[in-house]
Amino acid sequence: MPKVLVVAETKNGELKKPTLELLSLAKSMNLQAESVLIGKEVSSQADLLAGYGSGKVYVADDAGLEIYNTSKYTTLVADAVGQSGATQVWLTSSETGRDLTPRVAARMGVGALSDVTELEIDGDNITATRPCMATKLVQQCRFTKDGLRVISIRAGAYEAEEASPQTADTVSLSIPEGDARVEVRDIQVEESNEIELNEASIVVSVGRGTGGTEGCDFVKPLAGEMGAAFGASRAVCDAGWMPHKHQVGQTGTVVSPDFYFAFGISGAIQHLAGMSGSKVIVAINKDAEAPIFKVADYGIVGDLFKAVPVFQEEVAKIKN
Amino acid sequence: MEIIVPIRQVPDVALNIRVNEGKVVEDGVSFVISSWDETAIEGALQMTEELGGEVTLLGIGPERVSEALRKGLAMGAHKAIHVLYEEGQTDSFGYAKIMAKVMEGRNYDLILTGKQAQDTDAGLTASMLAEFLDLPQVTNIIRFSDLAVDGMTLYRKGDHGTEVIGIKLPAVVTVNDSLNEPRLASMRGIMMAKKKPMETLSPSDLGMGAEELGLQGSMTEVLKFEKPESRKEGERFEGDETETVPMAIQKLVSEAKLAV
Ligand SMILES: Cc1cc2nc3c(=O)[nH]c(=O)nc-3n(C[C@H](O)[C@H](O)[C@H](O)COP(=O)(O)OP(=O)(O)OC[C@H]3O[C@@H](n4cnc5c(N)ncnc54)[C@H](O)[C@@H]3O)c2cc1C
Ligand SMILES: Nc1ncnc2c1ncn2[C@@H]1O[C@H](COP(=O)(O)O)[C@@H](O)[C@H]1O
Repeated sequence: MPKVLVVAETKNGELKKPTLELLSLAKSMNLQAESVLIGKEVSSQADLLAGYGSGKVYVADDAGLEIYNTSKYTTLVADAVGQSGATQVWLTSSETGRDLTPRVAARMGVGALSDVTELEIDGDNITATRPCMATKLVQQCRFTKDGLRVISIRAGAYEAEEASPQTADTVSLSIPEGDARVEVRDIQVEESNEIELNEASIVVSVGRGTGGTEGCDFVKPLAGEMGAAFGASRAVCDAGWMPHKHQVGQTGTVVSPDFYFAFGISGAIQHLAGMSGSKVIVAINKDAEAPIFKVADYGIVGDLFKAVPVFQEEVAKIKN
Repeated sequence: MEIIVPIRQVPDVALNIRVNEGKVVEDGVSFVISSWDETAIEGALQMTEELGGEVTLLGIGPERVSEALRKGLAMGAHKAIHVLYEEGQTDSFGYAKIMAKVMEGRNYDLILTGKQAQDTDAGLTASMLAEFLDLPQVTNIIRFSDLAVDGMTLYRKGDHGTEVIGIKLPAVVTVNDSLNEPRLASMRGIMMAKKKPMETLSPSDLGMGAEELGLQGSMTEVLKFEKPESRKEGERFEGDETETVPMAIQKLVSEAKLAV
């Protein structure tokens, strides 16, 4: 009987949506699931994990776990795998998941499949579909040897169901020392109450067509009014018009929201690699030949500076 | 500082990539250094320019990989190791095992690579190698500072901000492409590259047998490649924004169920 251990992720002490997606997926596949919860002041989240179908919740709650730390997290996940007897470990393909997935796999002496968008499971036989070649292709992969399956799954690939907390059956993990050769000193956070890109159901993104910081700021309020996360092309981030954390694309954040709005973005392959999994794409570009229109469900050929105020009016109308 | 930069030769993803019967067609494909690995080469060059030492490139793969290594040497790397590997593709686990063998008995302070390869988009090899060598890892760095022979400060792009990490060498580090803009090889660099040392090794030189190579040495395999279902162009709205935008939004609400 396969048993999945989900590596839970939190932000500001709250579970992140991609974690709930993984537990919902396990449930929909009738798989037995447990989870491991690591961080500072995160214990309160165990009940929600239980509500989402996690049997035991292995908890490591410690001030020293506030910032991600490869060595400590790897030891904790390996410990939880050992105690739970899990046959599969699922992580999300966040930056934490990307760092942790291969290290955990190698620690357990097995391989891994990363950034998976589709899973087929028959016992511990797994067929995974994942994008490759800058999303020009997808590949279907499988594990060829026996042993633990370590998989990271892309945020938004599966839906999170609704669930309410239940009393969790928790197990405390002992807190490891960490690798003395690495000193995680600090995290530089830009203060914001912005919605995270890979969790948003609507993303509004801006490209070089905005012409500068002012142009970006011109579009930004619309994102707020729509309850959307605010994204950008690399051209915008490289020019310093917006911080790099907003970058959508192959080397930025990969998003797959229900709605993606592209204002003044041409649709370069590396940008498409980060957003072509969106359910509905809306493009606003003044160049009718822009490649973004080839992937847009709704393409508006026009000037974003004229379009944005009309968008705002229409959104206000819908809200009323 | 002695730096080893594993570089992977990949099909140029900017060009058309064809698939036939589940396999990537290699015929007519132009191969390049994976772009994140170019960033790693540039980073390594900047480090040795500041501190001294040498940059050694490592490429594992068939004969054609030597061209990628020459290109890296032309950028300024000092020498190269080519593991002439004809056993067909293996996975990140398999490549990491080969690299671990290459590192045995070698002197290095830092292994610097791209955060993922442009063909696999896996991002697994470096961390697996770090585990096999029992070295600390820092992935996805966007900056480094306080460079010294025994350590440095790294800035990692994490989920909730930039993590500032002090690391003691030796270590394995992977780079985000925003670390730098890789230099182009100069004419002089290209000429000099021809004379730079390239060590060619076979897996058996590394003491590796068939069971550790190709599919046998992999933990995973690719069953097939496919073109993703391509998105179809939907509806276009052309004309005055005061008319096209309300029309599009109306359809977004009625057809696509946009709710704000
Ligand atoms: C290795 C590598 C990785 C990369 N990774 C990424 C990545 O992760 N994300 C990413 O985005 N890019 C990435 N890129 C860069 C990518 O190739 C493009 O250069 C970039 O996406 C272009 O950004 P853009 O669409 O904003 O700018 P442009 O291509 O300059 O497009 C601007 C668009 O705005 C339109 N426009 C101009 N004025 C207006 C107006 N008033 N109203 C409406 N439309 C207007 C123009 O018609 C044009 O189509 C990467 C490149 C490489 C080589
Ligand atoms: N065959 C190879 N030769 C040299 N380096 C490699 C090879 N395969 C992978 N690498 C290195 O490992 C990194 C990550 O690869 P991957 O795990 O496939 O994403 C690449 O960017 C390279 O630096």
